[in-house]
Amino acid sequence: MTVTQLLDRFISVDLLRSLEIFCPELILSATVVLLLLCRMIGVDRRIPACWIALAGSLAAFLGVVVQLRFMQSPGLELPSDFFGWAIGGAVRGLAALFHLTEEGVGTPGPYFTGLMMHDALAVMFRLGLLLLLVLTLSLTVLTGLPDQEDGADFYTLLLGAVVGMLMATGVNHLLMLFLSIEMMSVPSYAMVGYLKGRRQSSEAALKFVVYGAGSAGVMLYGLSLLAGLFGTANFHEFAARFTVAMAGEPFSLTSGVVILTLLGVAMLFVGIAFKLSLVPFHFWCPDAFEGASAEVAGFLSIASKAAVFGALLRFATAFTGDGESIRQLTSYLGVGLAVVGAASMTLGNLAAYTQSNLKRMLAYSTIAHAGYMVLAVAAMMVFRSAAPGGLLGSRDPLQESVLAVEGLIYYLAVYLFMNLMAFAAVAFIRNETYREDIDACRGLITGNFWTQLVCVALLLSFASLIGIPPLGGFFAKFLIFRSIFVAGYLHPVLWGVLAIAGLNTVISLFYYFRVMRAVFILPRAENQRPLEMPGVVAAYSVIIALPIFLLGASPLQARLSETARAISASLFY
Amino acid sequence: MSPEQFASTGAALKWLLGLAWLLPLAGFCIEVLGGYWTDRRSRAPAWLAVGCIGGGFVLSTIAFVTWGSATHWGAFAVVDDHHGDAHARGQSPDAAPAAVTGAQAPAAPAEHGHPHDGPPHGHDAAHASSPYAFALSGSFYNLATFGGLSIDIDYYIDSLTIVMFMMVTLIATCIHLFAMGYMSDELTDNYEDHEVHLPGGRHFHRPGRYYRFFSYLSLFCFAMLGLVLAGNIFQVFVFWELVGVCSYLLIGFYVERKSASTAANKAFVMNRVGDFGFLIGLMILWTWFGTFRFANTDPAQPGAPGLFQMVRDADGHIHEHGAGLDRAVVLNDGLGGAAVDAASGQPRSIPFWLLIAAGLGIFAGCIGKSAQFPLQTWLPDAMEGPTPVSALVHSATMVAAGVYLAGRFYPMFVPEVLLVIAYIGCITLFIGATIAIVVTDIKRVLAYSTISQLGYMMLALGVGGWFAGLFHLITHAFFKSLMFLASGSVIHGCHHVQDMQEMGGLRRKMPITAWAMLVGVIAIAGLAIPTPWMAIAFSGYHSKDAILATSLAFMSQNRQHFLLFLLPLATAGITAFYMFRLWFMTFSGKPRNQHVYDHAHESPWIMLGPLVILSVFAAVCAVGGEGGPLARMLFASEPTQAVAGAAVAGTVAVNLPGHALIHEYHTTAGIAALLAALTGAVLSYVFYGAGLVNPATIRSQLSGLHSFLIEKWEFDALYDAMFVRPVHVVARWAQGFDQKYLDGFLHATGRAVVWISKWDRKFDETVVDRAVNVVGDATYAAGASLRRLQTGRLRQYVMFIAFGVLGLFLLMFAFLPR
Repeated sequence: MTVTQLLDRFISVDLLRSLEIFCPELILSATVVLLLLCRMIGVDRRIPACWIALAGSLAAFLGVVVQLRFMQSPGLELPSDFFGWAIGGAVRGLAALFHLTEEGVGTPGPYFTGLMMHDALAVMFRLGLLLLLVLTLSLTVLTGLPDQEDGADFYTLLLGAVVGMLMATGVNHLLMLFLSIEMMSVPSYAMVGYLKGRRQSSEAALKFVVYGAGSAGVMLYGLSLLAGLFGTANFHEFAARFTVAMAGEPFSLTSGVVILTLLGVAMLFVGIAFKLSLVPFHFWCPDAFEGASAEVAGFLSIASKAAVFGALLRFATAFTGDGESIRQLTSYLGVGLAVVGAASMTLGNLAAYTQSNLKRMLAYSTIAHAGYMVLAVAAMMVFRSAAPGGLLGSRDPLQESVLAVEGLIYYLAVYLFMNLMAFAAVAFIRNETYREDIDACRGLITGNFWTQLVCVALLLSFASLIGIPPLGGFFAKFLIFRSIFVAGYLHPVLWGVLAIAGLNTVISLFYYFRVMRAVFILPRAENQRPLEMPGVVAAYSVIIALPIFLLGASPLQARLSETARAISASLFY
Repeated sequence: MSPEQFASTGAALKWLLGLAWLLPLAGFCIEVLGGYWTDRRSRAPAWLAVGCIGGGFVLSTIAFVTWGSATHWGAFAVVDDHHGDAHARGQSPDAAPAAVTGAQAPAAPAEHGHPHDGPPHGHDAAHASSPYAFALSGSFYNLATFGGLSIDIDYYIDSLTIVMFMMVTLIATCIHLFAMGYMSDELTDNYEDHEVHLPGGRHFHRPGRYYRFFSYLSLFCFAMLGLVLAGNIFQVFVFWELVGVCSYLLIGFYVERKSASTAANKAFVMNRVGDFGFLIGLMILWTWFGTFRFANTDPAQPGAPGLFQMVRDADGHIHEHGAGLDRAVVLNDGLGGAAVDAASGQPRSIPFWLLIAAGLGIFAGCIGKSAQFPLQTWLPDAMEGPTPVSALVHSATMVAAGVYLAGRFYPMFVPEVLLVIAYIGCITLFIGATIAIVVTDIKRVLAYSTISQLGYMMLALGVGGWFAGLFHLITHAFFKSLMFLASGSVIHGCHHVQDMQEMGGLRRKMPITAWAMLVGVIAIAGLAIPTPWMAIAFSGYHSKDAILATSLAFMSQNRQHFLLFLLPLATAGITAFYMFRLWFMTFSGKPRNQHVYDHAHESPWIMLGPLVILSVFAAVCAVGGEGGPLARMLFASEPTQAVAGAAVAGTVAVNLPGHALIHEYHTTAGIAALLAALTGAVLSYVFYGAGLVNPATIRSQLSGLHSFLIEKWEFDALYDAMFVRPVHVVARWAQGFDQKYLDGFLHATGRAVVWISKWDRKFDETVVDRAVNVVGDATYAAGASLRRLQTGRLRQYVMFIAFGVLGLFLLMFAFLPR
């Protein structure tokens, strides 16, 4: 097929639907352009850039809401009760506004000639990412991170990174995988170095850039190996091509195909592990987070992780299928992922111990949490490798893999709120004390009522990060641990990993509680006055912290769990 | 009840009683949070608490009316048909013993309604003895679902629930009012505790805790009401523990006094022992039944039976097969057939011995909560709390919880378990009464009397007298709270003197208290004026009469268990003796301590008012005896099998008496009980009232027995030798082991972890940093302009990528199958 033919087909069949699905990205891109234009003609002196950015993000968010509604009920039927009817009507109106149709957004499947994939999983991840974008924007408005002069630049970068992230959730092609990861990386380099006056910030950005460039190089190498080996870069064809290439050879070191595949996958994984800050590709993370402002660090720690997890899920499912050799490959990769996860959480938790800087400590904490989350993907791989009626007994492997992915989605949903709360608290504390170390938190509880509220919200966030019931973090961890336990029947190594993960949960308690001790128990230093945070800061904290609690001890827990299951099922069925 | 009617009545009752239940919690929250900001001298917390619990009483009363009109007052009408005849026959003194066919006499099948599986009955078609005819069950809120295990906040409302609600809220309201007066010396910023001696002969000073006391009381009422409203056994357990916590807080209210904190600990620990059994019972129930709900009476949900419906069919029978250890009980599906396991298709059943174990486990919890032998020792010590607390704990709430649960869970108890309950109750009532004879602390007499009376209730439940046990629970709650409040009034009037040997003649100083106390004494002693038609008596007579009639009927069927009648009968006499002893020693005769007498004064009206209200209820709450309204309310909830009686030829052959049989023995038992009580009362008058015999002489002649009783049957010493000291020995060993080996191990582990983290930090910072420094030095020499950017570190980082990739490869290929 020539390029012209391809182009013709693209324009005639696919383009309109693709653009519909691409609507949030398009809205964000338009907002970026608008921001730059405003700056050029000087409108930004009258309308602060943050409001334009916020409006754009909200529009994109609403667009995704409509998309989600289409995924749930393609025809947008109106429910009979009043609220359902009102909301349904509003969604219909929005759909008309964004020109979204059932044929376009309502039908899952590949778009942009198969480069991208549209399904419930992608829509849900986009929804979460855009929610985070809105929350981050509000946070920066609250803390006044970019000043009037730099606002447009900062929001341009932020929105640009989010466009890359949104794309990453739907990748279906090696090229798009690379592009989207780079698209989210490049603006984040600049955001880390955004505190221009500070040397530490610039230094962190430089480290981040060089490290990112190195890993991107390795990733490209792996990408070319895979594409060359299979003759395609489309995820959907990998499993079949692998089986063909193996041609009945045993899955062992003697097979060249196996070696090449593993080399390719491992090198590609380096790029992913860099974004997820998994050991041993985590070195940039503490330095970058320490140098970046807390708002940016919080955003990066959640958003880029979530987006890349979406991509990783798709990449990982590409290597699953029927056939003996592909099963062995899947199982092998799954166990390898689990080991990487175990190493990540152990190193992250141990290293977090001795930190005195809050952001650095939280950076190591995110390394550990990435370790927990990657276990879910590992469990999913191991389940997918199971032959029907094998060691799992009456359990259906496919259903179990759905449950594993459910755990990951649940974890990410809770992680969004709890980690954002932690970083937001750091930002609030910094604004009041101009410090970011643990000592700055001493006796925080002695402050005014709003400060106390923030303290309680921080407590909720940390308790949830540890995984204390009945908070959301507990259920998230529980779901993943459960999947790992069941997967242990297939591969006993996972039981060892589970033991390490359990031990890590205990270890993590100490460093989180060290901060809590400083906040709630230790007295304020002699020469420091009690803090007086503004009420709006406390309101923000309550809004962020409430879901941590609600996603644990309320009917919402069951709702989220069901939703997550339905979404993860869309990946497999 | 038709499904629509069920739904509407259920919703109304659910919210009425639910609100009555939650009001005290709201009060508690407001008081706890608001306590910080209010003045310690404000009475507002007390008024708030009274308002909450009083509101609860009003709501309960409305609920009672709602329930009654929804059932067209069927509970009253139906009992009259069935029960009135038998009752009249049993009560008339000249009735010849009718043909007694024995306990096995099966009730006519037509008497049993099938309210939960047949087509909906009208209220008149349902029989009073069918337990679910007037019961409403449902759910407030689903807390969590783990696989098949669903943890819900359910409700189960039948006439027993409503009676308990009205009783608890009414008594608690009175006690709250009383406490407003009694605790008024806490209304200060500087409370001096005379019982706490500091070095240097000073007393302990602290801020008053008025609001704290009332917040605890509110929480206590919330817990107790939640327990009564609970619709599943797990929820009962939750509130059970909450009741335990509240009693701990209240008994240890004067926390600075060592005796109080020890007593609080003792009550808590003793209860934990019982709760251990409770937990085992819960595990068995969950494993074999898969549900915690009592019963599901919703006609809209057939085929989702609760525990009771699974164990017993509509007629109250248990279906079993096999023998020995293979003996098993077939579970019903609530539709008239056997429940079928979804996975295997086999009928579900539970081994008989496990059913016994579950019953005994749940009952173990009741033993702890209701202070039954062998866990009775915490209750007298619990007198360390303020007197209103004692009144609340010993009448309407904590100890009542045990009996209530035993009654609520009655359908799950097989006859073997019931026999254990009966004997436990029998032993307890005797021990409690004998100790009460010799105790001289006015509150402790009442405490031991409580133990004894609880024993009566358990005995009644055990010998098949479900109605008698719960009837006594309600009447006892009224007269015992009355007596406790009266004793509180005495203590308040005598400025915290509690020893009866210091009192005497107080009738002249505090007449209203004395008369109120006399009402309680007569009620508990069971004195009555028999007439050919009915006995003119206070409430206690009716309920005790019912208990003794049941146990006499039981004895007639099971001759070998004769103690189960004789001991309670003798104890009825002892009860009268020690209660009148208390009254005579306190209120009549000459003052023994002139100083105390001179300063004694009658309490204010805020304390006397509740006394008057409670005396009225103690006197007339059981009016009409077993034909009266209270009795009919209780009959409406009676489990089916308690009506007909049961013949059992199992591991232990026991015949439980049915209603018909009990009524045959009613007159005999009533006369015997009255004679015993009169003897006790007269003896008491001879000893303490008229002073014809000097008690000291008797005491010196029986000094061995006296000291044995004073030492509470040596139970504390026995437990000390049996448990405490061995535990100390083991603890010392464990401590040695701990210090030597475990600590060593832990320290080593701790050092290792610290070492690892240090090493890790070194790896992450020092090693890298040093490498950076080395490289940095090298760059320093090479170029000047870039040195500040620490390119060395960057190189190092990039190198780590390479190392990481290489390491990844090596690991991957090392483990690849060859």
